[in-house]
Amino acid sequence: MQGQVILFQVLNGIGIGMIYFLLSVGLTMIFGLMRFVNFAHGTLYLVGAYTAYSVSLLTGSIWWALAAGPLTAAAVALVSERLVLRHTYEMPHEAQILVTFALALILQESMILIFDPLAKNVPVPNFLSGIVFIGPFVYPAYRLAVVVAAAIIAVVLWFVLERTRFGAALRAGSESTEMVSLLGINVQRVFMVAFLIGGALAGLAGTLSAPLRGVEPFMGSEALGVAFVVVVVGGIGSFTGALLGGLLIGIVQSLASSLWPEGARLMIYGAMALVLLVRPAGLMGRS
Amino acid sequence: MSTFSSYRPFPDATTGALAVVLVALPFVLPSVTLASELVVFAIGALSCTFLLGLVGLLSFGQGLFFGIGAYGSARILLHSNTGSLATILSAAAIAAVAAAIVGFLSVRRRGIYFVMLTLAFAQMGYFAMLAMKNVTGGENGLTGLPRPPVFAGFGALTHPQSVYAFLAAICFLAFVLTQRIASSPFGSVLRAIRENDIRADALGYDVRLFKIMALAFGGFLAGLAGAMHTIFLGLAPPNTIEPEMSERLVIMAIIGGTGSPIGALIGAGFYVLLADFLSALWPRWLMIIAFLMIAIVLFLPNGLWGSVELLIARWRGGRVRVASPEAVDG
Amino acid sequence: MVISRRTALLGGASLLASPMIARAQSNKVDVVGVYSLSGTFANVGDLLNKGTVMAFEHYKTAAGKQINYTLLDDQGDAGRAVRRVQEAMGQGVRHVVGCTNSAIALAVAKEVLARGGIYIHMAGADEATGSQCNKASFRWPGASYTAIRATLEPFIQANPAAKRWYTITGQYVFGESLLTNAKAVMQEKGLTNLGNSYHSLSEREYSGYITAAMAANPDVLAVLNFGNQTVDVVRQAVSFGLKRNVKIVVPWCTGLDQYQAWGTDIVDGVYFGVNYWHGVDGPGNRVLSEVVRAKTNGATNYLQACGWAVAQMFVEGANKAGSLEVPDLIKAMEGLTYEGPTGTETVRAGDHQVLKNYYLMRGKARSAMRDADDFAEIVQATKAFLSPEQAGCKMG
Repeated sequence: MQGQVILFQVLNGIGIGMIYFLLSVGLTMIFGLMRFVNFAHGTLYLVGAYTAYSVSLLTGSIWWALAAGPLTAAAVALVSERLVLRHTYEMPHEAQILVTFALALILQESMILIFDPLAKNVPVPNFLSGIVFIGPFVYPAYRLAVVVAAAIIAVVLWFVLERTRFGAALRAGSESTEMVSLLGINVQRVFMVAFLIGGALAGLAGTLSAPLRGVEPFMGSEALGVAFVVVVVGGIGSFTGALLGGLLIGIVQSLASSLWPEGARLMIYGAMALVLLVRPAGLMGRS
Repeated sequence: MSTFSSYRPFPDATTGALAVVLVALPFVLPSVTLASELVVFAIGALSCTFLLGLVGLLSFGQGLFFGIGAYGSARILLHSNTGSLATILSAAAIAAVAAAIVGFLSVRRRGIYFVMLTLAFAQMGYFAMLAMKNVTGGENGLTGLPRPPVFAGFGALTHPQSVYAFLAAICFLAFVLTQRIASSPFGSVLRAIRENDIRADALGYDVRLFKIMALAFGGFLAGLAGAMHTIFLGLAPPNTIEPEMSERLVIMAIIGGTGSPIGALIGAGFYVLLADFLSALWPRWLMIIAFLMIAIVLFLPNGLWGSVELLIARWRGGRVRVASPEAVDG
Repeated sequence: MVISRRTALLGGASLLASPMIARAQSNKVDVVGVYSLSGTFANVGDLLNKGTVMAFEHYKTAAGKQINYTLLDDQGDAGRAVRRVQEAMGQGVRHVVGCTNSAIALAVAKEVLARGGIYIHMAGADEATGSQCNKASFRWPGASYTAIRATLEPFIQANPAAKRWYTITGQYVFGESLLTNAKAVMQEKGLTNLGNSYHSLSEREYSGYITAAMAANPDVLAVLNFGNQTVDVVRQAVSFGLKRNVKIVVPWCTGLDQYQAWGTDIVDGVYFGVNYWHGVDGPGNRVLSEVVRAKTNGATNYLQACGWAVAQMFVEGANKAGSLEVPDLIKAMEGLTYEGPTGTETVRAGDHQVLKNYYLMRGKARSAMRDADDFAEIVQATKAFLSPEQAGCKMG
């Protein structure tokens, strides 16, 4: 019996982990490729979630929400980049951290301003509101759908990174900006697209999570905390690192719920500190 | 980012100005209690200013030591007859030790990794506080703390004015101590580490040890502020150790400018007064502060006080040393 | 006495500025409310404040004097709350209401006592009328003992076959007190406590805990936490299909606003314990509901009711005393009986706790709802309170 519970928790952890992957992959790629630390990443998740709420209120359709969430997040990322962030590329990391942190505050307060401080509810779409049986294991249909969606996105992302010219330019640009621009590729444009895609993915994670966790103004900073842990554990700049890190953190969190429930949160940050101390490159990162 | 400028002689004009400001504050502000709050957070911000301005270490974890100072002093007050001064100093010492331990672990990494480590420790401290609810009172905090006289029956702290006088005196001494350290050989080494720690290492300085000592002093200052906070309010609420407190101290330090310790006073003053003034008008005042932060980082890297100093120097016609941000890779 | 000065810079800052001079004419009474409009509890603070504002606008006077209400925004910071209360009381204010969370209430209570004021609040922490009770403070809602007894006991009576219990508890002081009380009930009734899963204060992901609960195969899942966490646990538990063979009991629920967050499909069939319900008929609730409906065109939720209740207690006490002097007020309030939002309510002298109904509710199916707010029906109303001695209150 105990073994079955452990198995359930691992499977559940994979489900959680896929959302964490979506949330974190943008952050890790942006830092790895652009050396840019984005403390406002969590608020893109927030924007995706609030967009899902607004759209579901207006249209009641999940498909519109799925489209609008990432697009809105990407738009916010674009506007912030054009207005504020591009001034900080030449500045030390501390400046980037402070500016993006302030930006996160502004976005968070804006959400409270536009909506109100109360937590909001986004209903699960009707056709996904049941449960499925995986063996003796009960699992919400919606969560399964999210896992499948995240897996598809992961495959598409991998394909883009490994098999397209854009992906190659992205990966090369992380090695050496001068070399890539000497080859005639507009590095700035490549990075910009990567930034927008990363933001869109965070927004998508928010949109998908909204029916699971509700929508409230402080979920952005919570999401950022988790994203940092995943990025550090998985390795900064690594796509597979974000995937493995996300899954690992999700599984650890789920297992801890059975084995050491009080310590779950503590353990996650402890894991991050441990990785930073012992192997800061993380599981898959390069130093 | 701006620096604790070049070497300044100690004491200098700012020390005198600080004394004047501290004396005048309760008369200029609408209430003595507001002045006390300002003074408490000035020290808290100073811990961030010191670390970032002098050593180049951005710590998002000073709230942890602020909280340790706050809870530490609360426990001392509850379980012993120690006078207020000794309580504050003991709590600050405990925080310094904690900061040395955390520092020992954190300095193994630099740049962004260091910042993330401070974040992680701050989060862990918060969850530890909640878990140790028998000691910390959990989400309720510790209330009804006594406010014993300054020491051995002398210096009763019954009136807000005497509380302020006590806190202002400690604030002044803490500032003076910080300026002294900044203008000492130790401070010069820290400055060299900020400029280029690899070079400092090559010159034979044990960079890690110096950073740990700096972090310990930063922890001391934050713990001092936390303990002052407890004496001031007579309670130790949970928000003293929340991640938000770490963020708040950083915001104050940046707004004031990390070029000089006075920046901490200016930054704390700005934040506390703006919060007090604006919150009655618009609950989303934090947004204005965030905009200000961006403006300062992008256009006024010396912060408010640093910009004032620049203006004064220019008006005097002296040579101006402009802080130029260096792109130091993490 | 602190003499305050205004500078041009901060001229308009404090809303207490000019009324100070008018106060000398003493046809007004200054009341301050301590709520958080910013910070992490902003969601709660705004509605609480609105409830208080509506009540004071409705009552207009207390003991013949016009009520002049000022909000002190503590920004979710207990330290700032204490400081602003210190400041206000230094300027002569003696009447304080409201709190957004227990840390603030407990801190402000000490401050108000030390400065000779009176404080009426809505904290949930048992300590407020238990180990930290004080002569100057009064508390309106029932706390964890009340919530557990008034919810679990009638539930057990209505569901005698539900013997195996599993609990999900917030690992903080309030959660612990809910759990301690729940365990006492389970022991008394001979129920099986299969186990408990603790979660931390800012948790959002409960799938692991729910899986652990399901593995224990319980008859009942008791959710022992507060706020958004309650909403998240129940939402996720229902999404795992828990309702098929497990009854869910939520002893500490804020009623309408949480029902709205969940939606009817989740609320259906779940048992809730609430401090207030808009559907209860009574003279006090009628007045409150009329005002709220006129202002907001909606039904009253718990936060508005709380904000209203503390204001009403002040007015009723002042009118009974015929005076606004604090000692007279305190004396009048001890034993005060009035028609409040939950019916006839009495302020107990021994610990300054209001003795009032706590409701066990059961969620309705969508087809059984008479209107959009009729989420649940009341199963039972109970007044369940520890005696002051049992609660550990030693009032000086």
